Formats: sequence, C-alpha cells, structure tokens
Amino acid sequence: MRDRFSKLMMTVAIGTAAVAAISVSTGTSAQAPAEGFVMKTPWGDPDLQGIWTDEASTPLQRSPKYANQEFFTEEQRAELDKARSELLGRDRRVERGTELDVAGAYNAQFVSVKRTGLRTSMIVAPSNGRIPPMTPEAQKTMAADRDFRLALLQSTDTCKNESVACRGGKYDPKPSARRSELSPRYNTARMNRFDNPEDGALPDRCLTLGLPEFGANAGSFRRIVQTPNGVTMFYDVGQGQGWQRNIIMDGRPHLPANIRQWYGDSRGHWEGNTLVIDVTNFSPKTDYQGSRENLHLVERWTRTGPNTVDYQVTIEDPTVWTQAWTAKQEFALQNGKENRIYYEPRCVEGNYGLPGLMRGVRTDERAFAQRKGPDPAKRDIATDFVGVEDDPLQ
Amino acid sequence: MADRFLPAMILVGVAAAAVGAVVTFAVMRAPAAAPTTSATATPATIEGKPNFSGIWQANNEANWDLQAHAARPAAVTQQGIYPYDYARVPAAPVLALGAAGAVPGSLGVVQGDGEIPYKPEALARKQENAANWIDRDPELKCYLPGLPRAMYMPHPFQITQSTNKIHVAYSFTNTARTIHLDEVDGPPDDAWMGHSVGHWEGDTLVVNVTNFNDRSWFDRAGNYHSAMLKLTERFTKKSPDVIWYEVTIEDPEVYTRPWTIAMPLYRRAEPNMQLLEFRCNEFVEEFMYGSLRKEQLVRRWDGEMMSVEITRKIPEGDRFYEWYSK
Repeated sequence: MRDRFSKLMMTVAIGTAAVAAISVSTGTSAQAPAEGFVMKTPWGDPDLQGIWTDEASTPLQRSPKYANQEFFTEEQRAELDKARSELLGRDRRVERGTELDVAGAYNAQFVSVKRTGLRTSMIVAPSNGRIPPMTPEAQKTMAADRDFRLALLQSTDTCKNESVACRGGKYDPKPSARRSELSPRYNTARMNRFDNPEDGALPDRCLTLGLPEFGANAGSFRRIVQTPNGVTMFYDVGQGQGWQRNIIMDGRPHLPANIRQWYGDSRGHWEGNTLVIDVTNFSPKTDYQGSRENLHLVERWTRTGPNTVDYQVTIEDPTVWTQAWTAKQEFALQNGKENRIYYEPRCVEGNYGLPGLMRGVRTDERAFAQRKGPDPAKRDIATDFVGVEDDPLQ
Repeated sequence: MADRFLPAMILVGVAAAAVGAVVTFAVMRAPAAAPTTSATATPATIEGKPNFSGIWQANNEANWDLQAHAARPAAVTQQGIYPYDYARVPAAPVLALGAAGAVPGSLGVVQGDGEIPYKPEALARKQENAANWIDRDPELKCYLPGLPRAMYMPHPFQITQSTNKIHVAYSFTNTARTIHLDEVDGPPDDAWMGHSVGHWEGDTLVVNVTNFNDRSWFDRAGNYHSAMLKLTERFTKKSPDVIWYEVTIEDPEVYTRPWTIAMPLYRRAEPNMQLLEFRCNEFVEEFMYGSLRKEQLVRRWDGEMMSVEITRKIPEGDRFYEWYSK
C-alpha cells in the first residue's frame, strides 16, 4: 500500500526540476565510508548538518533480472537513464472518457525522474535485495485487507474492464455487501468509498506517512541542525508534507509503551563518527509495508565526505517479516544559501480535497436516490496512476 | 481520481532543483577512533554566544488575549439576564465544560499603554473576528499558528542552536522554523511562519521575520495582521532557565505604528522532558469534516446535569469553499 503513496508523492517532482536533476552527478563512490574522514562541530561531535537529499533514483527492491548483482554497470545505468529520459513528457492515456483516464492525470507528462543510482536496490540485506517474506500471520492480514478493497471495487468499470487495479478480484454487477463493513484493520490507504474521512488514505487526510523515509521517486529533503547533546531533523517530503524529529541524545530509555507517535520515538547516540538512532513507539495508525506499532528502526548516519552522508536503516518487525532487512542511501549536501527546503507542513490549511471528495460522494448519493445519477457503488473513486508509464527502473 | 484534489495544492515550487552543491568546508582529518562524545551537560554558550538550546514554554494567558483582560466565564459567552458585559454567561459550545471552559485573566503582554494601535477599519475587523471566534480562529482548525503566536501557545517548543542555524521545533501541529544566522536566499513564497534571519547584538539574539501570509492570528481574541507583517524578535537570557522574549510588530496596513509585546519563556526543566507530537489536524477532523460523513457520528452527549445535542451544518455553495479557506 505504501508504494501507492510513494507514487502520490511523485507529484512533488514539479519543483524538482527534472532537467537539472537528470544532469546531476552523484559524484560518489559505492565504497564504504572513506576511512578516517571526520568533520566535526566546534564542540567535537561528528558534523551531519545541512540539507540532504538522495540525488539518484534507486528502487527499494532489486528487480529479479539483476539477481545478485548489487551495482549497475556503467552501461546499464546509461541505458536506463536513456530509457527513462524518453518517458519524460509522454502523455500515456487509457481509454478516453473513462474514470481511469482522468485518474491517470499524473502520468509521465507530469512527473520527473532523477538519474539512475549506483545500486540495483536500496536493500542491501538480505543479499538478494528484496524485502524478506512476511510471516504467515502478516500474509493473512494483508490478504484480508486486499480482499476487502477488491470487494469495494467489484461492481465498477475498473473490474469490468479487467484493469490491473482489479487484479485478484472479479467483476460483479451487484455491489458487495461489504460496502457497509469496516476495513479489517484501521484504514491507512484509499478505498472505493468515502462514507467517513477515515475511508481516505492518510495523505488525503494530511496525515503524512513517516519513517522510514526514502524519498520516493522525486526525492525528499532533510535538514539536520545539531547542538551539544541534541540533533534535530526537519523533513520536507513535498506537496506540503513534512515533519520534525527531535532526537534524544542523553541515553534515557524510550517513551512508555502507551505513548505512540506518528513519527515514533527517536533515541540517538554516537558510535565513533556514526549517529545511531533507535526508533520505536510508532502509532498503530501508521503503516509501512504492513508494519505498524511494532515497527523498529535502527538508523546509522555517517558523514563520508564534505558533501556526502551515508544512511543505513535496519527495519525490523517480527510480527510482519521473517527477518530484519537493511536499506541504504547516500545523501548529497545541498547548497545552504539557496533556501531549498520548505519548513511548512502546510496541508490541512489548503485541504479542499478531502471535504471535496466527501461532498462529491454525498452529492452522488442524493442524485442516485432521486434517480438522477448512477449508483455511487458502481463508480471508482479510489484508483489512480493507471496508465502511468512504468519506470523501467522500478 | 482523487489526485486532482491532492491535499496540498501548494506544490513545492521550491527551488528543489538538485543542482550539485558547491560548498566548501574546513575539513579535519583525524583517526577514525578519535573520541567524539561531547560533554553531557548543555553548555551555557556556543562559540561565545548564549546557548538557547532546550525545551521552553510561555506560562501566561497571551494566547487568550494579548491585552489586559479580566477572567471571564467561558471562551464563548452570551448575554446573561442583565444586559451588562460583566454579567454574561457561558454560551452553548462550552457550557458543559464548567470552570474548565473559563478564561483566565491577565495584565496583558502589550508594552507601553497596553493598546494595539489598530487603524479604525482594522479594529472593526478584529472585533468581528472575536465575535466569530469558533468559525474563524485558525488555531481551532489546527492551521499553522504563525508568529509570534507559536511562541506563547500552551504547548512547548524546542530550540536547537548551532553556529549558523537555530532550529525551532514547536509541538503544536509539527510547526517549525529555522533562524538563519548565515546568508540565505528568501523563501519562494509567503509563509505562515515567515522567514527568520537572525544576528547577535551582544548577548541578545535579534531575529527579523518577514514573508508572512495574512492568515494567522495572534490570539483567541481575534487580533490579526496582514501579509505586510514584519517582526523584530529579541531573545535575551535572564537566567539559565528564563529567556526574556520581546517582539516588535509592524504592519502598516493594520496598525498606525509599531507595537511591542514582551514575556518570559521558561525552560521545561523536568529531567525527562521531551517534545511530544500534537498532530491536531487529526483531532479536528470531526470538527472540520464531521458534517460530510454519510451518517452523523457525534450526535449527543449525556451527563448528569445536561445533554448536549449536535446538529451539523454544511455551508452551501461557494460558502463551503470559503469556510475551508478561512
């Protein structure tokens, strides 16, 4: 589910100036941190300060076609960059006049891409570059959620036309009785119903998804400011979405278990020149790839050069995955004079979308009741990005 | 399909253009095993300047009303049996809360004669704001609080002071701002929290804040500003745990002259203090969008002394959109 939201975030690309991005040199090596490189604050801590972003595009999971190849060859990167550049501006459509065509407005004409990264996947462990298998329990939970969402779609054209969005489901002209049910667990993703605000995806409700933050296709920015015994990070993930982390550095234990937060609870310490942050206490209303309140992250931030930070995060949730997994990114320092981060997570301030969607559905319901419009259960208000060009990198 | 209505219509038109960063640094090379821990106590100074790092909170009634005001029975009142202002009674929206819905009094934080020098037409709008507090105060919708209001809301905030940047993180709705002590380009757009540029005058941190939009308020009394707002903030350490905070407010569109508020900010000295999330946009979902549910959810509350019935309304036509833009 998270993947769909990541795509939502692609729309930020407008500001990310595709042309400039494609000409960026990552200027980095794939090697481990340069040995002995140290940059320190005046008070002697390793210095991670500045605005950081991942200037390259790397898929989270490795495509099976690269098997155990951890890095692209230069030729592969060049080919991928060429193929991906050609997608820019292509206005791919699905059948004109359909709901899905309208929903596909954010196609390659709208989004931009960054240059292909060095790695074939962000995931470095396990060594196949893939998220480990889910536990049987988690698989059941995910399947139940999927079945519920497909039931809500079953009487729409999306299923009638056997769109990819209905994969695993089948068309039935009779709306499902499940339309009046709650989703199997607290909803975080868009569904084909808007009876309540809680039927919306978290981003529809201005409840940004949080950690771990990999920046989706268009990237995200994080500013780090340090003080003795304190590290703060402000994330700008585009589209008015952002949040802050104030990392507790004095060694005290995590928050009590009954305090749950959207961005968890971050406890950091220095190991040599690496900032190690342990993150727990996530809210059961968050969802990262199926992981909720039991999500546990261990992040490692290491300055590797004047303009680079190596970021690694180990992601663990024994209730969801059969083993922990680790992803890696390399961040590039941004020009500190150019004010290229937006501090305002302003979203609810301009959220005409959520009330507009709900009001639209209430209007449809009234029209249907008066026999002046179609059955809202037969319309698809949930599916998007159908018809979007497939990025050959993903 | 809903993408057309993506939450933030404000696209990050920021110069996010990822051009290669050209920054030079003084780079020290040292053995990888060099000790890297800093002292555990927060130092009193950073590079010779007072260190404002820590978690702080105002402890006053300024968020109710910047000006001197007597305590009153409720945030919203109606006429009592006498027609006098001093004899009003709690109005329906807060009646069930008893004394918890009352407003504490204050001598005010406006310096000098205590008056806010509104132009006559601006004063009329302030009074109208106050009369329509529930419908209009951005705080109730969990909108970004703006400045200086974020500094004296009843929520803590954290200062992280470095050498060239001072980051301020507010608990209320994930608000943040960075005070730039070094040279930096302005923001790409006007902003709820403005654009903060600081410098030192002796041991006082002086911050000029510009590039505001016209949407935030100063308090629950309807005090407001236009997009011409400019602030000059002065942070001075009175003691290790007290900052004297002064801010001069200029806005030629709304006021006849600059005016100043001042107050202490206190350190949250609890040893286990940390900034917790207050993501109120989730809390106000029922307030904001409850009227648009398929079936009304919050209808009635029953206590021993009264029941409260809720009847939801949806503003019609254009007013629907106007309401969300207020």
